[in-house]
Amino acid sequence: MAEADPGYGTSLSIESMKVIAESVGLMNLPDDGAKELADDISYRLKILLQDATKFMHHAKREKLMPTDVDNALKIKNIEPTYGYHTSDHIPFRFASGGVREFHFIEEKDLDLNEIISGPMSKLPLAPSIRAHWLCIDGVQPTIPENPPPISKDLQKLESIDPITKLKSNKEKEKTGKPTTGKLQKLRNVETVHVKQLATHELSVEQQLYYKEITEACVGSDEGRRAEALQSLASDPGLHEMLPRMCTFIAEGVKVNVVQNNLALLIYLMRMVKALLDNPSLYLEKYLHELIPSVLTCIVSKQLCMRPELDNHWALRDFASRLMTQICKHFHTSTNNLQTRVTRIFSSALQNIETPLPSLYGALQGLSELGTEVIKVFILPRVKTVADRIESCLDGPSLSNIDKISAGHIKHLLVKVLTPILKVTKSPPDFIDDYRNEFGCLGPALQASVIKARTQASMPTPAVTSAAVTTTSSIIHPAAAGVPNPTRMVYSGTRPVSLANNPQKYVIVSSRPQTPGNIGLQQATPATAQASGVRFQSNFNAPVAHIRPHSSITPNPVTKVVVVCVANSSTTNSGPKSS
Amino acid sequence: MSSITADAASAPTEEKNGPGQPDKNTVLALLQLLRKYNLKATEESLKNEAKLSELPSTQSTSDSDVTNVLSAYKSEGDPQKYEEAYIDLKQFIEGALDVYKHELHTVMYPIFVHMYLELVYNSHEEEAVKFLEKFRKDQEPYYEDDIRKISQVTKREHMKGNELIDTFTSNEFIIRMSRDALSILKRHLQEKKHNVLSNVVQEHLYFDMYEGVARNKQQIDATAGAMIGEATRQDNKSKVYYGMPKEPDIQLSVLVEEEEDGDGGEGDKPKKKKAKKDTLFSRKTKSDPNAPPIDRMPLPELKDAEKLEKAKALREATKRVTLGPETLPSICCYTLLNTSQTVSCVEICEDSSILGVGFIDSMIKLWSLVPQKLRVMKTAEQLADVDMEAEDIMHRIFDDRNAEASRQLFGHSGPVYRLSFSPDRTLLLSCSEDTTIRLWSLMTWTCLVIYKGHTFPVWDVKFSAHGYYFATASHDRTARLWATDQHQPLRVFAGHFSDVDCIQFHPNSNYIASGSSDRTVRLWDNFTGSQVRLMTGHKGPIYSLNFSVEGRFLASAGSDTNVLLWDLAHGHLLAVFTGHTATIHSLAFSRDGNILASGSNDCSIKLWDFTKLTEEVLEEVMNVTHNPEIKKSSENYLLRTYSTKSSPVLGLHFTRRNVLLSVSMFDGN
Repeated sequence: MAEADPGYGTSLSIESMKVIAESVGLMNLPDDGAKELADDISYRLKILLQDATKFMHHAKREKLMPTDVDNALKIKNIEPTYGYHTSDHIPFRFASGGVREFHFIEEKDLDLNEIISGPMSKLPLAPSIRAHWLCIDGVQPTIPENPPPISKDLQKLESIDPITKLKSNKEKEKTGKPTTGKLQKLRNVETVHVKQLATHELSVEQQLYYKEITEACVGSDEGRRAEALQSLASDPGLHEMLPRMCTFIAEGVKVNVVQNNLALLIYLMRMVKALLDNPSLYLEKYLHELIPSVLTCIVSKQLCMRPELDNHWALRDFASRLMTQICKHFHTSTNNLQTRVTRIFSSALQNIETPLPSLYGALQGLSELGTEVIKVFILPRVKTVADRIESCLDGPSLSNIDKISAGHIKHLLVKVLTPILKVTKSPPDFIDDYRNEFGCLGPALQASVIKARTQASMPTPAVTSAAVTTTSSIIHPAAAGVPNPTRMVYSGTRPVSLANNPQKYVIVSSRPQTPGNIGLQQATPATAQASGVRFQSNFNAPVAHIRPHSSITPNPVTKVVVVCVANSSTTNSGPKSS
Repeated sequence: MSSITADAASAPTEEKNGPGQPDKNTVLALLQLLRKYNLKATEESLKNEAKLSELPSTQSTSDSDVTNVLSAYKSEGDPQKYEEAYIDLKQFIEGALDVYKHELHTVMYPIFVHMYLELVYNSHEEEAVKFLEKFRKDQEPYYEDDIRKISQVTKREHMKGNELIDTFTSNEFIIRMSRDALSILKRHLQEKKHNVLSNVVQEHLYFDMYEGVARNKQQIDATAGAMIGEATRQDNKSKVYYGMPKEPDIQLSVLVEEEEDGDGGEGDKPKKKKAKKDTLFSRKTKSDPNAPPIDRMPLPELKDAEKLEKAKALREATKRVTLGPETLPSICCYTLLNTSQTVSCVEICEDSSILGVGFIDSMIKLWSLVPQKLRVMKTAEQLADVDMEAEDIMHRIFDDRNAEASRQLFGHSGPVYRLSFSPDRTLLLSCSEDTTIRLWSLMTWTCLVIYKGHTFPVWDVKFSAHGYYFATASHDRTARLWATDQHQPLRVFAGHFSDVDCIQFHPNSNYIASGSSDRTVRLWDNFTGSQVRLMTGHKGPIYSLNFSVEGRFLASAGSDTNVLLWDLAHGHLLAVFTGHTATIHSLAFSRDGNILASGSNDCSIKLWDFTKLTEEVLEEVMNVTHNPEIKKSSENYLLRTYSTKSSPVLGLHFTRRNVLLSVSMFDGN
């Protein structure tokens, strides 16, 4: 029988009969006998299954279980097969060999010793009951026990095809979603339903919730903020409040960019992150507000009061990752989201007038988008960028800000280009080639690539060593003529910035931490802690992991975490001394 | 058992053929039956009368019934003729006037089935399969399940013992048809002289003719779908006392508030519901013309404790919220955890204090839903010390020290398919795959009686609203009525053609309704033991039934995912509520009768506006011949849908104050 035949598998084949006959020692079963048997047994099996489904239905299930078949056998007065119980689906395996094809169930040999000596399997949990309100006076409360009022799929459908909302509007009124009672009654009286789409009435509880959450998110109490963000990231019933939340974020970014309030911008971006993480929300309808806000936080010329001191780089990095997350979730062939975002970044990159912090943002934004994007958009521009920052790095007179920016850009480029160059370029790495191709970034890149190559051959533990730190130590002999910009930055400005900084900053996770930080922390660990350096909640384990910067993984969680806590000094000193 | 069904089946056949020449096969079947029971004298006289000298004695007596009926299929016909005849009939029906077309079309399915079976019986296997595949797509989609079952039978020897084939061969397929349509059909059959066709029509179809306009497609589809056709008018002619009788007075006026005076005293549970501001029969409770006489069905005397309980229920009822489209109920959902795929039934007792759960591993577990824990009665020695005259004797006999929040009952040896609490909450019935019904005491927490009688798994058991009586439904195609103090069933209701899947007592205890896998709902009279209503329209097995509070209407639902509402006065289908997407396993009317709730395996509960439906229905004039318009616009009646989080809804129950309790099983997979 051919695979395409719909009847395939609905009756036993002659071959199966023969195999079974052989297995009970009956050789050479004639064909017509086998056919007769196959037909009859197929029929009996089907009747048996029909009866088994009765037992399934009466057990109020939609899934047939071995016990149902046992019970069906019992009512036919046939001894059921004892000891064959499994709650899982056992797949049929298909095998063909020689001329024969057949299905079978794989039976693995179990080592009894292993079972006896192994750990006891867990006892099943006792059945229990849990009560909750499915609805109160006809309104379904949005609590975790209840499903979200509008499923994510429906939200998605609505955003793609708004007509469905109009069509299903009437029906949805019947789905017991929370609405204010008054509105419900008004609707019954009203004869014309014109602006139903625009109704965004929130109940008093929802208004209170909105107020509480927004206050907590931008307030000064970190504990409350964590709770508020947790709620935003997990509560199922936020759908109705989304428009307001998104407007709040967009307006907040607008105001705080002008006022250069870095802390607030960070808080707002964390809200975006929480909303993105909420499994029951579908944000596509609100991207027109969210994307400009996030983009602003990536490429804005100035994000803080004292650009030379404050760590606005962390914000740019974090926002870049958000942007990537948005692109990944919502990119479709119709909205061309990623293309448009890439175009914005690359136009900033092409423009010679772009201020250096914005340039950094654009580079960071592009590099988060993946290897291909880096190859296409960053690699060809490296020389131009290098030329631009060269003057800032070497130039004697220019402002400190430019120097720091240039340092960051250089560092970033080295980080993101290394893994790519490692693959694209063949081993003998000549410094002149690099210098020709990448200008002043050449030596640093070359050193980094060599380092990466040697590391790749080393065992894994070495991978966790601080690449930047080691780079700087290796770089010296190789690029003797070039002053090491990274060093300058760290030793000069960073300690000051942290020590003098009264504000609480959230230094968000996976930015490649500069050795300057480490230097500071080695010298005055107490200062570092006292200054309230905080880390994004997911990452605040007090262990120093400095992963190789070469890993541009799409998943932000696996990215670099640098935590400056006293006991981490030992880890850091390791590579230095080596 | 089988003799009763055979008798019932053959009796009408004889009647129908009465005026003409007695059908030879029928006579043969009767003779065999007589021989089986060794009634020689009757056999002889029948033989003489029918001028049959010799009875074919080759068949063994055990399967003679079936073989004999099957032999009706014997024909020497050319297999090609069947196809020709069928195509010809099809063309005739397609060419008929639009008015008659749909009604005529109803004969296609039974003719199709019987032709196929005839082909199979005469060992034309290939032609049979070809015939089936060629015309199966012409059949109505709701017959697809049965066609699939029939298509599995491709050999003569398989026909014997197949439930569905037996049903088809030993019963006539009932078709309701208007006089005009029927005469057109008859004329056609006479003209064409297709032997095979007219044979099938003669042998296997029964036309229930009525005067009047032919029905349209919607009307036909609404009541079609049962295993062997629709109900005849004769089936639904007898009178049904669907009203609620006046209960004997109980001296409770002290306990009952002033406004309940008059009808408050009667105080039976369903009575009490009606006593409230019932929108349907407000205040005419004194003498319901449709109520059965009070002594029609002997009911047990109320015990003192029960009277107290009823008074309590009445007081509770005064605090009840009257539900409606504007005031929807609150739903409290009990989710069963760690029980994925192992729960087979749930039940909440009348006063909503105990939740009972039956498991497929034969266990019954009961939880107390109120702070009061489940107490055990004291031992005999301790009971001797209890003061018999004390006011609170019912409390004193219990031992408070070992009260527990949940208790387990062990005894069955197969999945427990249904639990039922007695109205006074002291007894529990359970039925199981092990073919037994057990009666448990909820005071001593032990098994009291094992009722044996069914020979196959028992799917459903229900206590009467008055206690004492209970009814069961089983895979053996019977429903039975029992009394708690009798080992044997009081009545055996045979008539369904497949499993009886669910059963429900009428609130006045005079009737029981049964739903079956043959896709019919039947109403049985407990007093006479006869079938008084046959209602067709479901397209799949029926798993849930419930009577409306005032007793006139019946709701049924099952695996066809529709809720059907019936008027018991004449057996009419009133409405079809569609909307669920999986099997419905529970139905509940609110205590004031205004709202119907349905719970399904699709993890949702739907609330339906029942008052609106009854008001519209009562406006129409109805009698047995006039078919009411069937309400199909479900969205007019659907009030709300509530979804649970991947937890199929297994049970629904309205508390005395009209809070809806739902029990669902969390399915982690």
